[in-house]
Amino acid sequence: MRSKQQEVVAAYLFLAPFLITLALFFLYATVRAVFFSFTDYDLFNAPRWVGLQNYANLFREENFLFALRNSLVFAAVVTTLQTFGALVMAAVLNQRIRGLNFFRAAYYMPSVTSSVVITLIFLWMYQREGLFNYLATQVASYAPQLGVFALLLIALQIIQVLIERTRGYPARWLDPALFAISFLVAAAATWLLTFLGILLPRDAEVDFTWLQTSQEVPGAFPMALRAPVPLIAIMIQNIFTTIPTFMLMFLAALQDVPKSYYEAASLDGATPAQQFFSITVPSVQPVTFLVVTLGLIGTLQMFDQVAIFGNAVPIRSVITLAYFVYQRMFPGAQLPEVGFASAAAMFLAVLTLLIVLIQRRFIRSEAS
Amino acid sequence: MAQAPARPLTNYHGAQDIERWQARRRWARAGIVYTVMLLFSILFLGPLLFATVSSLKENPLEYPPTLAIPQLSPRNWSAAASLGRAGAGAPLWGGFAPGAEVPFEVTYFVPEGLEATPPAVSVPRRRPGGGLGAVQQIEYAADYASVTPAQEVGREPGGYVDEDGETLTGEVVTYGFRVLYEGDGPKVDRLPVDVEVEERDQVFVSSTLALSRLERRGRVASYDNLAPGALGYTFNNYARVFKEARSITTGRSLFLSWTLNSFVIALAKVVSTILFASMAGYALARLHFPGKNIIFVLILFAQMIPGQVNFISNYLVLRDGIFGLSRLWGQASLLNSLSGVILSGLVGAGAVFIMKQFFETIPREVEEAAMIDGTTQWQRFFRVVMPMARPALGALTILTFQGAWNDFFWPLVVLTTPEDIKTLPIGLLTFRNIYGATGDWGLILAGAVMSALPIIILFIVFQRYFLEGVSYGGGKE
Repeated sequence: MRSKQQEVVAAYLFLAPFLITLALFFLYATVRAVFFSFTDYDLFNAPRWVGLQNYANLFREENFLFALRNSLVFAAVVTTLQTFGALVMAAVLNQRIRGLNFFRAAYYMPSVTSSVVITLIFLWMYQREGLFNYLATQVASYAPQLGVFALLLIALQIIQVLIERTRGYPARWLDPALFAISFLVAAAATWLLTFLGILLPRDAEVDFTWLQTSQEVPGAFPMALRAPVPLIAIMIQNIFTTIPTFMLMFLAALQDVPKSYYEAASLDGATPAQQFFSITVPSVQPVTFLVVTLGLIGTLQMFDQVAIFGNAVPIRSVITLAYFVYQRMFPGAQLPEVGFASAAAMFLAVLTLLIVLIQRRFIRSEAS
Repeated sequence: MAQAPARPLTNYHGAQDIERWQARRRWARAGIVYTVMLLFSILFLGPLLFATVSSLKENPLEYPPTLAIPQLSPRNWSAAASLGRAGAGAPLWGGFAPGAEVPFEVTYFVPEGLEATPPAVSVPRRRPGGGLGAVQQIEYAADYASVTPAQEVGREPGGYVDEDGETLTGEVVTYGFRVLYEGDGPKVDRLPVDVEVEERDQVFVSSTLALSRLERRGRVASYDNLAPGALGYTFNNYARVFKEARSITTGRSLFLSWTLNSFVIALAKVVSTILFASMAGYALARLHFPGKNIIFVLILFAQMIPGQVNFISNYLVLRDGIFGLSRLWGQASLLNSLSGVILSGLVGAGAVFIMKQFFETIPREVEEAAMIDGTTQWQRFFRVVMPMARPALGALTILTFQGAWNDFFWPLVVLTTPEDIKTLPIGLLTFRNIYGATGDWGLILAGAVMSALPIIILFIVFQRYFLEGVSYGGGKE
């Protein structure tokens, strides 16, 4: 009996530093945020109870609606693309080859640096005279070459596969050996045509405004869910940084999948794409669930990029819920609207929990 | 894609033949896989490397962007070194000191029918960039330098291809001049020089050191520093980060202060997290006590609630010095102090979760053996359990350091004034706000690269722990 009591005392002693931190900076803080969200408070005068007024006012605030729209679009697009991209990359990397560790490390490198560093670099590349516009200009100028190259590649591949088949070999349409030959020959032919001056690069100049613009991309979204161009710029940057992390999670799971599954499928004549959808995707289901959850939590709380893009973009096109809260708490010259900011923060917390719960239902039901 | 043909192998190929055919496929497949992996590497490392290389450039926004950067040419390194030696006896970092005699040559192309004229050389009073450097008192080389008239030192026939692709014939003429520091005075960091010709058609070809930029329709060849020294030339932007960005009140280098602050916070957090997270994780994994489930639910919630919910109250708690506790050690408020950031982040719920998961995987038997020896709980934890936890602690150390080093939101809230108190990430935001406005990206990129350096070195050395950290973070639930 004494030893049991001792164990309880020991446990709470071991937990004490953590529990104190948790109680003060999480529990107390959350309870206070809930309380503030029902009050009118500016840090200088005592909080005044206003009931649900702050929550009602949220939806009358134009910037809040922009922030809500941006956060939702951002979370949906980024989570989808990064999950899919990470899984595809992991499937490609899931090989027993030399040098895999080097490649894993190389891909992970951008993710170890801070979001500030990566965002600054991207911001620099998004300038009007930056790398993105330069590369786009190159692609536009060499569009004839790229087109001819693609046509040659397809034609050569078809011809080669047909020849191999008539010779009695079981060649697939994407046979790697034939593809390598087609690729090299098509590249050489395109280069020769350009060198001889038969195929000339076009005089193109891409001058796309990534930052100082209020242009929006309608895409497939309903009207309310259009994505402003600067937000798309942040999406690209975010996907770039998060794919490697999630790719490593998928890769760890994939390496537990027996190689024999793929070999058997291969013998049955399944294409790589079929193998991907019927072996890879189902066997990493639990990790997919985790990646989507982490992705949603991360993207719904996106803040750093908005702060760093700052005045380089129209604020409405990139403002997120997290940034909205910060901006109302520290509005510069004006009085802080602590109550209003707390209401927006509570809204963000509840939204995060709801979306994670819904997604949990959705992916679980699909698995069963 | 299309279904593989189900046709049987026709009998005029032997088994050996098919074997060889399939081996060829495997080789090609490996080749393609490696090529794709290399392309991915370029995609993911490209922006970092391109930014690193461009951070050496005088103007990283130069268009079109190029990798042929004068700062990377050995010819310019040796020229910069000997110019630095001539300027201040300093081949590495250069400068302009009393007694200096800096020889320099500029070569022009003069088309037929035009008489070559010697260029006019001047030392302008030019500020070293805007931003934070603009308020500093500096010495100007212009106040101490004198220039000898440019004299012809060589002339030979030559050709020149102009913008329209036409080849012109004429002469290539080289002029030499010296910049002198006569009399006494201070050592000056930079020696900016403008070399101007009267005729636009007298075209600049080359000079002892690559020029900074051509101005006034090609008539003025401008040099930001004629005596830079090898390192001063190559790492000019990096030197500027330390030299120009100084605190207005103390005059100390801001970047150094930020780096130091980042290190202090990260190391303190690593130590406290290692200790407290393993203590808490051990208790949750091994000991029986009431309230365990509630704590566990709290841990899960704490990881899901956004920082934007808690920062409001936490800001106020730090402002009041944690209910006045900080007065015990003489701080009225914990805002704008490193201890504020450290105390509010002693141990995170995520770290406790990782350690709990880890302690559940190690066998109880080891501890039970120690228990028989009559050790206390405390001794067992430090002598038996902690040494076994080394792999998890390695990953946790890396994760915590990385998290603290890269943390942005919370330091942005707590550390606002003076500039000296900031950490690297929010310091870089200051750089971006000040220098981004003037398009001075050289300094921003140099700062960004340097701030990423410690974490990248750590990654290269402790790669294993980083990658393990990802799977811990992923938690194989």
